[in-house]
Amino acid sequence: MTNVVSAGLGRSSGGLNSKAETELRASVIPGQPDIWVLVLLEAFTFSSYFVVYMIYRMRNPGLYLHSQAQLSLQLGVVNTIVLLTSSWSMARCVQSARAGDYGIALRDVSLTILLGLVFTVSKLFEWVTKTQAGLTFTSNEFFMFYYFLTGMHLLHVLMGFVFLGVVVYQLSSPARRSQEVIETGATYWHMIDFLWVIIFALLYVMR
Amino acid sequence: MAISASARSVLTWFGLCAITLISWWLGTHHEQGSFAPNAAVTLSVIGIAAIKVRVIFREFMEVRNAPALLRHLTDAWLGLSVAALVAAYLITRPLAGT
Repeated sequence: MTNVVSAGLGRSSGGLNSKAETELRASVIPGQPDIWVLVLLEAFTFSSYFVVYMIYRMRNPGLYLHSQAQLSLQLGVVNTIVLLTSSWSMARCVQSARAGDYGIALRDVSLTILLGLVFTVSKLFEWVTKTQAGLTFTSNEFFMFYYFLTGMHLLHVLMGFVFLGVVVYQLSSPARRSQEVIETGATYWHMIDFLWVIIFALLYVMR
Repeated sequence: MAISASARSVLTWFGLCAITLISWWLGTHHEQGSFAPNAAVTLSVIGIAAIKVRVIFREFMEVRNAPALLRHLTDAWLGLSVAALVAAYLITRPLAGT
């Protein structure tokens, strides 16, 4: 039922005003319901990592603070702005597809992929500079958590490219263009964004 | 005054970037130096992250229009995660002597 409502809404809402659309969209799950099961499972899994990190950190705060000084807060901020911007362009992609502007939607998802690649390259650059400086997975507890958390996150970014590829495939032909599948890809990508927001806070900024 | 979905997403993006810069400022400008233990900075940073995550859920992920169950589940995850992080920080902090 949800699928039918969601798909129908995607094709028909172009002529509605904002208030009517909001009312019509009320109680509609964005994307396929299954993706939300995955998002919540991933969210709880990462939360357990975050709490374990916090407990270990507080056992030896001096080591963690000293190690944090080896990270570039500026690069962390740039990473965050890049991912927030990629989330914004993906939200625009969903809106454009819903309005039937598939060319603009394709441009928006392409921008999201580009920003995802920028994030990936900057993370690899950060890892290379750290390992060249002798700061590896086994250097100390902080860097073990740093490589584990950023590595698990980057793995999800790479999987996100598969989701975005499916969105591009959907948008490329009038024969496909399922609004529900496009929203599913967007939901996964936004998950990558909010997980990074917490990783950035815990690894780069907290004191 | 109603705003378009497009304008709303731009405002959301701008707000998220602005509070990211506040986090940056918190990480670099406090009295005890940038890399000294600071509970106020830590709790503020966790609070700011929680606000950003909720905004991403509500606005970018369109949970504001989703069924109540999904709204409540996302809020429950966020509330539990923040509570667990803050509890882990506050409970273990005296042991660390900070």
